[in-house]
Amino acid sequence: MTEASLITEADLHGYADGLLGEADRVRVERYLEGNPDAAELVSKWEAQNVGLRRTFAPYERSHPDDLDLLLTRPRLGKPRARLASALAAVAIFLTGAAAGHYGPALGGKDIETVTTAASFPREAQDAYLVYAGEVRHPVEVFAEEEAHLATWLGKRLAVADLKIPALQALGFQLVGGRLIPVAGKPGGMFMYEDQAGQRVTIVLARNRDNTTTSFRFHSAGSIETFYWIDGELGYAVTGEVSRQRLQEIAQACYEQLS
Amino acid sequence: MATRQPPGAAPLSFELQVLTLLPGLRRYSRSLTRSDSESDDLLQDSLEKALANRGQWRGGSLKSWIYRIMTNVHLNTRRALARHPSVPIEAAENATEETSPSDPLERRKLIRALDALPKDARAVLMLVVVEGYSYQEVADILEVPVGTVMSRLSRARHALQDKLQEDNVVPLRRTT
Repeated sequence: MTEASLITEADLHGYADGLLGEADRVRVERYLEGNPDAAELVSKWEAQNVGLRRTFAPYERSHPDDLDLLLTRPRLGKPRARLASALAAVAIFLTGAAAGHYGPALGGKDIETVTTAASFPREAQDAYLVYAGEVRHPVEVFAEEEAHLATWLGKRLAVADLKIPALQALGFQLVGGRLIPVAGKPGGMFMYEDQAGQRVTIVLARNRDNTTTSFRFHSAGSIETFYWIDGELGYAVTGEVSRQRLQEIAQACYEQLS
Repeated sequence: MATRQPPGAAPLSFELQVLTLLPGLRRYSRSLTRSDSESDDLLQDSLEKALANRGQWRGGSLKSWIYRIMTNVHLNTRRALARHPSVPIEAAENATEETSPSDPLERRKLIRALDALPKDARAVLMLVVVEGYSYQEVADILEVPVGTVMSRLSRARHALQDKLQEDNVVPLRRTT
């Protein structure tokens, strides 16, 4: 009784929002058992919560012109070399390729490019699904032979001096890598692992069409992919980690690879 | 953690981080407004403001900082109803097929009830329910006392409930 009288409306909100500690939660629960009116109110709030989340969750999306939103600013004129050139490339891409509106003169070859760009994150996720779960044979060449891995994949992807990103600073050690097909062409996959055994993969694919894209997210269930195409190569970082973490990894790769 | 940067990372960092936040910001923006076009304008105005004032970001949570900007931009914008008629449903329907409640009518009524809420109360409700912030975090974002957060939340919930009742709506089912 004394306990029940201490329940405030704030407690009821906290309960409906799942923000109470265990002791308070139990306290409120006991109170609700004896107070059907309050219980009904709380269950209506919970139902509202579900309805609101479902209503707005679908808006949590990235759009192809996201980077554009951040770039069409007057400060573009300022000399920020690397960003500016990346942006220029992206802007060109966005006005044409991103929406899939290649000029007719460019013909079939570029249509293939668009398909490739669109399917790239999916292929990267497939590779992650297939290999990241492998216990004994996640890679063909293990990290002990890192130099060989780089030379080999570099040769297959026709990239002179292919670098394997170092992610130790972010807590990820190289497991190794393998050759994988991406859009029917040789591609490379590097796999990393943190101390908890959480794996992330980086897929590299040859981009024969010299297009460049913005950084984009693609998610499928709990698997997130952050990808971009930069000149000759496409990169896709995939893992079951937070977007924040993935973005840090992607940024490290971007800096080391380009 | 949220703001850690690899050494020498400077140039793309701010934009990249904002880029990562965009999907969430788009959701928050839409949850505050009455239509897709109003939401687009809010998102764009907020990003402009954030980019223009990036020097004022003190290195705390960038996310909270931008959410604060967006909330303030929204609260300071007078609704131009003629420009943004409240047309949430159809636009939302196309985008929501996989995850929306099974009954579009329920959602329609919920959104109508939501659109009748005062802006500040709606913002608190969305930050808590849709964005998943704790009451204290909402207080920090809005720079108001927790008590104010609680009273706005209470106002939002009761108003929403009254409006739904008025519409004689069967409450949405619980998922669990």
